[in-house]
Amino acid sequence: MTSDASTDTPAARFRDLAKHYGDVRAVDGISLEVKAGEIYALLGLNGAGKTTAIRTLLGMIKPSAGSVELFGQTVSPQAATVWSRVGFLVETPASYPELTVAENLKVMARLKRLPANTIETAIAQLGLQSYARRRARDLSLGNQQRLGLAKALLGQPQLLVLDEPANGLDPAGVNEIRQLLKTLAAQGTAILLSSHILAEVARLATRIGIIHRGKLITEMTAEDLHEKVARRLEIRTRDQDSAAWILRQAGHQPHTTSDGAITVEGAQALEFPDQIATLLVDAGCPPLHLAVHTEDLETLFLRLTGQEVPA
Amino acid sequence: MNAALYAEILKLRRSKLPWTTLLAITIGVAAGGLFMFISLHPDAARDLGLLGAKAQLATLEPTWDSYLGLLAQISAVGGIGIFGMLMVWVFGREFAEHTAKDLLALPTSRTAIVLAKFTVAAGWCFLLTGYLIVAGLGVGWWLGIPGPAGSGVIGAGVARVVITAALTIALTALFGLAASAGRGYLPAIGTLFVVLFTAQIVAALGYGQWFPFSVPALHAGITGSGQPAPAVAGYLGVAAVTVISVAATAWWWLHADHTR
Repeated sequence: MTSDASTDTPAARFRDLAKHYGDVRAVDGISLEVKAGEIYALLGLNGAGKTTAIRTLLGMIKPSAGSVELFGQTVSPQAATVWSRVGFLVETPASYPELTVAENLKVMARLKRLPANTIETAIAQLGLQSYARRRARDLSLGNQQRLGLAKALLGQPQLLVLDEPANGLDPAGVNEIRQLLKTLAAQGTAILLSSHILAEVARLATRIGIIHRGKLITEMTAEDLHEKVARRLEIRTRDQDSAAWILRQAGHQPHTTSDGAITVEGAQALEFPDQIATLLVDAGCPPLHLAVHTEDLETLFLRLTGQEVPA
Repeated sequence: MNAALYAEILKLRRSKLPWTTLLAITIGVAAGGLFMFISLHPDAARDLGLLGAKAQLATLEPTWDSYLGLLAQISAVGGIGIFGMLMVWVFGREFAEHTAKDLLALPTSRTAIVLAKFTVAAGWCFLLTGYLIVAGLGVGWWLGIPGPAGSGVIGAGVARVVITAALTIALTALFGLAASAGRGYLPAIGTLFVVLFTAQIVAALGYGQWFPFSVPALHAGITGSGQPAPAVAGYLGVAAVTVISVAATAWWWLHADHTR
């Protein structure tokens, strides 16, 4: 496998990409790049523009403005040399139902101009050995997804573009595919994937772009994601009004939630909740409940995309 | 284009289409043989209940020329249906089964894939035509149609079947375009019905010799000796429909926004 890693040329690059359908801005000025060895996750709600962006990258849709590049070349359907370096799975996996798993892969290998031995490798990578002679129409949803992934992985391409790769897989399958993608990335494959499941993305991606209503609203590393997660200290006492007054006198900014709990979000309170406990005990208002709560990822996603956050 | 041809041939081989189209042609040959049997033995046919008391088969003479004309008519009218459905399937299935998106970002060009689809569909249609001729001649000999079998009559009749089938197959390129641009079976099947009806209506109005979709039937002599043979413009129209359909299909696969 040759690589562009040495030249730092991104495997995929979006430059101010926009795609409009009349007044609908499916993609609205997205700029991002995916480098070798990176797992970049486009995270967004259904209809956010993830698939449109991916289809544009793959030359299936023409941009209204901006451009997309693969390995430094502007994407066009005729760019035959570029397509030999790209594997993809767009939306739901599709296969020819009357062909077996092996035949479906054989068709794709021929069209990708790959040697026949790549078929066995892909079958083994996706654990499809016992299904190789089974017709695609007789596969379970999970195995159809595996077949779709196997087609994308044929020939170990330098760039993998996967739209919702965990769709239809059971938990063991999700874990297996996650490990496989991490291994491929470690070997230098650039991976661009889309998902609406933040928890899965958090486990897999090295970089995350949150896309909402066609716009890339924020981009972060996996480490940044954990830092952006909101935390708060939740306090319950027998006299909440007095406790809030004591905390305010000590320089904290307590809030009362709809269910009557007091929350404090300051760094000192979060780092030293024992000091809060001591403060309340010394003031004669000992806490009945004191706990640091971490925002779940779904709530974070809703907050970042400006959606209504459930109480 | 070899890879694309391989893929299309494998898909066709594994489908039920070869058998169903072969069955349809077989039914056509059997129907032709039945009509010829009735024409050869009208009294026996009446005794067997194959012919109603008031039935008229005056236009079908018990000759090789007439019989091969009947086979040409089958390849014209039946051909639009059978060959047309084959073309609809070859293109429409990629959208019905959502496999089209897998064909769009490959080292094998989209144009090669489109041309392979047309080539394989047309190739199978020609093989079906060959079967129609061989089976039809076999049935003709078995029925004992009178006349000099070795004369130029059979050669001319076979040529008429081949040319009629070629004209019909050429026109089915339009259904490949309709299935692509319409992203599925239904728009193409609708187009097929429109073509069938307009071909009949335009021919009945007397303009069929210039109307491309009426040309195969007129070439086969389906509307009787009273109708004129197709004009040169009609044949050129068939060529134009074919070239434009193939080019437009390739253009559509290359330049359309593939959102499904």
